Amino acid sequence: MTQWRATAGLSRALIVAGSGVGGAVLLGEPVGLVLVTPLLFCGAMGLAARPTRTPAATSDLDHVSLHEGQGTTSRLQLTDAEDVEQVTRAVAEAAYVATRPAEGRISRLLAHGVPDLEISPRRWGRRVLGQERVALTTRWAGYRWGPATLPGLQMQVLPAPSAYTSRAETPQPKGLVGAHRSARPGSGTEFAGIREFQPGDRLRRINWRISSRTRRLHATTTRAEEDAGILLVIDAVADHGRSGGVDGAASSLDLTVRAAAAMAEHAVRRGDRIALRVIGGSGRQLRFGSGWVHLRRLLLALSAIQSGSEGHRALATHARVPLRATEGTTVVLLTPMLTEAIATVAASTARRGLPTLVIDTLPANAEPALPDDTDPELADLAWRMRKIEREQVLAGLSGLGCPVVAWRGPGTLDEVLHRLARRAQLPQVRLR
Amino acid sequence: MSVLGWPVSQVVARVLILLGPVVGLVAAVVADVPPPGWVAALVVALAIGWAFMPESLLGTLCLALVLAWWGVADLVGLPAEALVAALGLLVAHVAGIVAGYGPPEMALDGPTARLWLTRGALVFAAAPVVWLFAVALNDQPEPPGVWIAAMVAVVVGAVVAAAAFGLPEEPAREG
Repeated sequence: MTQWRATAGLSRALIVAGSGVGGAVLLGEPVGLVLVTPLLFCGAMGLAARPTRTPAATSDLDHVSLHEGQGTTSRLQLTDAEDVEQVTRAVAEAAYVATRPAEGRISRLLAHGVPDLEISPRRWGRRVLGQERVALTTRWAGYRWGPATLPGLQMQVLPAPSAYTSRAETPQPKGLVGAHRSARPGSGTEFAGIREFQPGDRLRRINWRISSRTRRLHATTTRAEEDAGILLVIDAVADHGRSGGVDGAASSLDLTVRAAAAMAEHAVRRGDRIALRVIGGSGRQLRFGSGWVHLRRLLLALSAIQSGSEGHRALATHARVPLRATEGTTVVLLTPMLTEAIATVAASTARRGLPTLVIDTLPANAEPALPDDTDPELADLAWRMRKIEREQVLAGLSGLGCPVVAWRGPGTLDEVLHRLARRAQLPQVRLR
Repeated sequence: MSVLGWPVSQVVARVLILLGPVVGLVAAVVADVPPPGWVAALVVALAIGWAFMPESLLGTLCLALVLAWWGVADLVGLPAEALVAALGLLVAHVAGIVAGYGPPEMALDGPTARLWLTRGALVFAAAPVVWLFAVALNDQPEPPGVWIAAMVAVVVGAVVAAAAFGLPEEPAREG
């Protein structure tokens, strides 16, 4: 348990003042007394402010779940702090956590309020703030309590809500009610054709001009509007490139998670159903759902992703688990495409006839993380070979009808989704 | 703004820690009792160490060495330069306290610095009083126990005065 202890200042004042007074009395030289009189006062006042109560300190965050780049406040609660004059807080540095004041250190008179620290996580994920050390000092800096160590606080940091919009329709909507033009007729607003009136047709659908010309009742048909299912498949096998946080350079996993979050939010806004499958790392799955509660669940799952370091066999097993993507689902695979198992997943879904889209999330300046004893020339050669193989895999996927696009934010998917939607209207042979 | 990664306020406090004992020795030079070179060098070395580690014992050693030199110096009477030396020691001591409130990367709090400036001025006010008292009694026959009685009176007076005037200022209330 932390106790009050005399400060170095009090010890210094008392020792020097005692020496000065003693010397003056023993030697009969008053100069020592003149020199130490101010220190004697400081020491005496420090002693007079001797604390009588033992305080306690705890710290808390205003928000434990927030988006990267947002800020919250770390507050210190003190009890039995009547003897305290000065409060000092120092938070150890933590990865991707910014503090104000910078360095996470602040000291203030308690009469002016307990000092608060502003905290801002700079990257998605589960962030643990550094341990905090708190010191309390009595009046005249006579006694100090601590520094007491408080455990680091945890916060769940969701990916930043990035601006993403798309006007493209989903290739094969097969839901109930939504905003996408369906291939089947229904009660939407998009014109499909004109045919002879059938029992069950609504009277307001009768096309009177054609009916009067042909002397038979005709009705205008429209396409149904349905919601779509989108399966986001995340490649979390490894994180390539350097992450500089929300306002710095983005690693492959940064691009992946932020793109997935943006697409999920866009889909929920349009009323679509969305599911998540993580390959590598946690291997987490989230079933199809819609609405803001589901989006929140999905963002939490995204923020819990950690790149995995599984062996090739485990990864291949992991990737072979069926995606549970039914007809009408659009599969969006977000990957830097540096793992064979991921390419297999993309190829197999495309061969099943599911509209599959690969979003390339390898940063342009990505370089492999290497142990210190690696020969840089050899590593460079291996990396270039790996990239050539990657280009071949991407070209192969394109040949299978699986478009590959790099993530560029708003409008990234418009063109490819338009193309996929047009292709979805054509008769297809599917492997089952 | 920072110097070598330390906030300017911390640098200023540590420069004051360094200068305080040096001023104490310079005052001795002015009072015609210059310390030998090794004493000056030792004081400067201790002051530099104290400036980097304000919570260390180096501060006590440094102040005690300056005090010891003034104690053993062959003074004629009680020179006024002793007050300058007292000010130097006090400034270094107070700067050491303020700098020791936190790690060196932490900027010093303005109200805290102002509070200690006020306190320093208050406690230093006692030094001229003691100096005048000592000058007045110089060459006078000393009644037994006069020094001890004087010290007790000074300490009691200091405690009462500082308790009355040395409390931290209350922040202005809003609204």
